[in-house]
Amino acid sequence: MKITRTKAFKVFFNPIWESNPISGQILGICSALAVTVQLKTAIVMGLALTFVLACSNLSISLMRKLIPRNIRIIVELTIIATLVIFADQVLKAFLYDISKQLSVFVGLIITNCIILARAETYALGNPPLLSLLDGIGNGLGYSQILITVAVLRELFGAGKLFGFQVIPNSFYAAGYENMGFMVLAPGAFIAIGLIVWLQKTVSKE
Amino acid sequence: MSSHIKSILFAVVLSIVCGSLLTLASTGLREYQLKNIALDKQKNILKSIGLIEDKKAPSLETVSGLYADYIKEMWIDFQGKLVPKEKKGENDLPVYFYVKQEKIQAYIIPVHSRGLWGKIAGYLAIKNDGTTISGFTVYSHQETPGLGGEIEKRWFQKNFAGKKILDDKGDFVSIAIAKGAVQGRIPTSKHKNFVDGISGASMTGRFLSVGLKRTLIEYEPLSERFRKNEIK
Repeated sequence: MKITRTKAFKVFFNPIWESNPISGQILGICSALAVTVQLKTAIVMGLALTFVLACSNLSISLMRKLIPRNIRIIVELTIIATLVIFADQVLKAFLYDISKQLSVFVGLIITNCIILARAETYALGNPPLLSLLDGIGNGLGYSQILITVAVLRELFGAGKLFGFQVIPNSFYAAGYENMGFMVLAPGAFIAIGLIVWLQKTVSKE
Repeated sequence: MSSHIKSILFAVVLSIVCGSLLTLASTGLREYQLKNIALDKQKNILKSIGLIEDKKAPSLETVSGLYADYIKEMWIDFQGKLVPKEKKGENDLPVYFYVKQEKIQAYIIPVHSRGLWGKIAGYLAIKNDGTTISGFTVYSHQETPGLGGEIEKRWFQKNFAGKKILDDKGDFVSIAIAKGAVQGRIPTSKHKNFVDGISGASMTGRFLSVGLKRTLIEYEPLSERFRKNEIK
């Protein structure tokens, strides 16, 4: 059997493009609008979410036969909240500046629909390894869109990437101007809209 | 075992496990976090007197080096007299001096203010004439990002530089945040006592104005001594 036909491969790669949590399922838009002004914050946010999603999927899947059905949402949220607070503490200890820029949005990963959705629809009914792959895949799918949007916004909004000037000064001298609109939230909204459009058009065939 | 008891038991065990994991992480990382917070404080003090720029992120060594070279921590009592750290009383206030070439260039006072959603903390630096503000920074707040949260941005903070805390007659009036732009709203004679506000965040501005005034009144004895040239 070819590797692209295995279940694990599909579980991992489907959410990266075809059923991407942001552009395919339109989940997690709030943070995607808020933290994509700069590439640096977008990458850290993507990593934090991937970490939380992978760990929560894995641990919920490991306990799926033990978790009592009537309190399963509470259990899921407790696990997710624990992981998010842990990620937040690590960021505060080692990436203080970025954690200040991300401010409340790391904490808000708890309420990010992607994580609860994966826990409810996937991890509760599938074995640990597949759940882990599903978590990482979805996390990377989320990060991928975040990074794309952040590149667009930082490049056109500030003329920079990773805080370094990319657009040469001669451009500005010739009358080029940064698009102030891209720095604002509506800029991200339009960028995400364009990505959704592109994705729907491409994956139809 | 009935399903209710099982649920409760599961919840209790899960809470204990998650709780102890978080406690472990929090105590284990506390040292690093406190170091970061202390460094961030030093960075903000240096920023308020313009020793480091906002745009370039300085290395950790530069920050602590500059801080050790130029900043002197002191305490003052209610009369504005200087008290060494070891002898400080309960009601004494902290102040930081920017010392260059053996002369105090500016003094930096910590500002704690109420905000719309939580506390705002920052530093206000005043030149050694006891009147002119040399800079203002905010290092912690809970205001709405994009609205009140703009108080942490350079464009807002840089308006403070050069403003005065005294009016034309030399009486104390504090510094206030206008509702919107200063131009056109505030009489020209009072321009030097106001900075541009943030549109959509007049509440944050109002709270911060009150907080700044309260802080400045507390430190007024010290400012007065600077005005009379009693401290050099």
